[in-house]
Amino acid sequence: MAAAVTAQDKRVAELNVISRKQRSLWGDAFYRLIRNRAALVGLFVIAFAALLAIFAPLISPYDPLEQHGKDGLMEPIWTQAFGSKFTNPAYVFGTDTLGRDNLSRLIYSSRVSLIIGFVPVSIVVVIGLTVGMLAGYVGGVVDDFLMRVTDVVYAFPDLLFVIIIVATLRGTALGDAYDGLLVIFVGIAVVNWVGVARLVRGQVLSVKNREFVEAARAIGAGPGRIMRTHVFPNILAPVIVTVAFAIPGAMLTESVLSFLGIGIRPPTPTWGVMINEGFIVFSTTPWPVLLPSFCISIVLLAFTFVGDGLRDALDPRSKM
Amino acid sequence: MLRYVVRRLLLIIPTMFFVALITFTLAHLAPGSPFDRNATRPMSQETIDRINRYYGVDKPIPEQFVIYMGNVLKGDLGLSFTRQRPVVDIIGQGIGATFQLGIGALVFALAFSIPLGIVSALKQNTIVDYLSMLVATIGTTIPGFVLAIFLIYIFGVSLRLLPFVGWGTWQHMVMPMFVLGLGAGGFLTRITRASMLEAIRQDYVRTARSKGLHERAVIVGHALKNALIPVATIIGPATAGLITGSFIIETLFNVPGMGRLYVTSILARDYPIIMGTTLLYAFLITIANLTVDIMYGVLDPRIKVR
Repeated sequence: MAAAVTAQDKRVAELNVISRKQRSLWGDAFYRLIRNRAALVGLFVIAFAALLAIFAPLISPYDPLEQHGKDGLMEPIWTQAFGSKFTNPAYVFGTDTLGRDNLSRLIYSSRVSLIIGFVPVSIVVVIGLTVGMLAGYVGGVVDDFLMRVTDVVYAFPDLLFVIIIVATLRGTALGDAYDGLLVIFVGIAVVNWVGVARLVRGQVLSVKNREFVEAARAIGAGPGRIMRTHVFPNILAPVIVTVAFAIPGAMLTESVLSFLGIGIRPPTPTWGVMINEGFIVFSTTPWPVLLPSFCISIVLLAFTFVGDGLRDALDPRSKM
Repeated sequence: MLRYVVRRLLLIIPTMFFVALITFTLAHLAPGSPFDRNATRPMSQETIDRINRYYGVDKPIPEQFVIYMGNVLKGDLGLSFTRQRPVVDIIGQGIGATFQLGIGALVFALAFSIPLGIVSALKQNTIVDYLSMLVATIGTTIPGFVLAIFLIYIFGVSLRLLPFVGWGTWQHMVMPMFVLGLGAGGFLTRITRASMLEAIRQDYVRTARSKGLHERAVIVGHALKNALIPVATIIGPATAGLITGSFIIETLFNVPGMGRLYVTSILARDYPIIMGTTLLYAFLITIANLTVDIMYGVLDPRIKVR
């Protein structure tokens, strides 16, 4: 109790000091982000998942593809407490139909999820920023093109456009590359760049006639320099927030596709693939489905908490 | 206003055209004819040619597209490859269950999200607020199919309270509607809360209070009326989203609707059905998006549409 009071006193004192240490705008935002408890928990969960993904071969007790024929459909060891006879201390989280170790498969699945989260979203950001800044600053043909493309892409239901792209390209070289990973990248990128471009365009439009841009123009800065050093840093905050939400969105897309059986090809483990494969035995042995469902939920929640935290940190006025 | 509406309605035509063009092109990018891959016994070339001719897929692709679009304008969406029946009939059979599910989910979503949003705005930064925001975040973040899996495990497999395969009785509808409605409801809760927070800080609310109105009259009569404008405008797209976004839930719970039809057609490469459903979905969404802009103009006179 006493410690808490002193900590609070210290903070009050810190706020009262007029000449406190200078912090940049981004430093301030970072401070606000890690002061948000949910966001901080989210960051830890993501870091943990990233460590699992990186060190998967070292941590996993088994090869995720290795089939232990005799030990199929073992239940996790904690079910022993509820009277399950199908447990084996060798498989802490149990096994699936083919006797593959659930824990190892869960760990390896985080690899695909994180790759899906970050790679296509990076592509989306690069394309979206380029087209959006051109459309917003130059206007003209690029702008018209962007608006029409948006109309069309927004007319497709969420996810269905990606599903059509991925499903029709199955069986082609592109569709089968890297166990179906590449075509999912393409699908996510094709559908999502539009949203980022539209956002960037709107931001550029609202910034480009502000006084500080005018001032830069008045002292002779060229369009390239204005975009780079004056417009770009000022539109970054909403882009970062959008990206933070695009990452779990991309992961969700992969898990839905894999769950439907048109995403990542088995036997490559992903949480969606595990749910798909485990579903036939769900009513008798639910664990091969329940465990990856938990993992997806926790990771998606973590990213959402960070996204919410980022939004509050970067734009303290927003109320959503 | 009228000119704006007419212009937006006309813009639907090129949008729908490109949706059709893109889906059609993608469908024909797929390797091979739809009939030469799923047969376990190889068919003779003669048979394949005859089938291709029957479904009109022997002609050049641009010509097929022109013919298809001509038929669409006449209300004919072609023949299903796998079900040997007109696509219009097949979609017509599924549309009922999908609308039932979508409307049920919408009613559930509105019933819990609006009260929750209002209460959490009025009790901002209290435990009530945090709990409702947690519910809203879970609803919007956890994917429907994952939520459905947990529910099926608890209420279907363990407790044996609810059936989880099929459609028809109210027991069948509870879980799909709940899962589908929770996502939309989470989103609506956030919107209600945000716009209520904004409304209670407005001058007209202060005026209403200062002239001595009862607190309830201030909230219901003045703040809420304005706070619900964004919520009302989003109901159209939310409904479209529920109807077009139910495909995974339908597949999971085996609901005989358009969504499950869509997924099975994707897996079977039944392109006429995919085309028909996509066009119908796209039309619903485009109209819904248009209603937002018009509704805003109607409900909030401060906004001028051009």
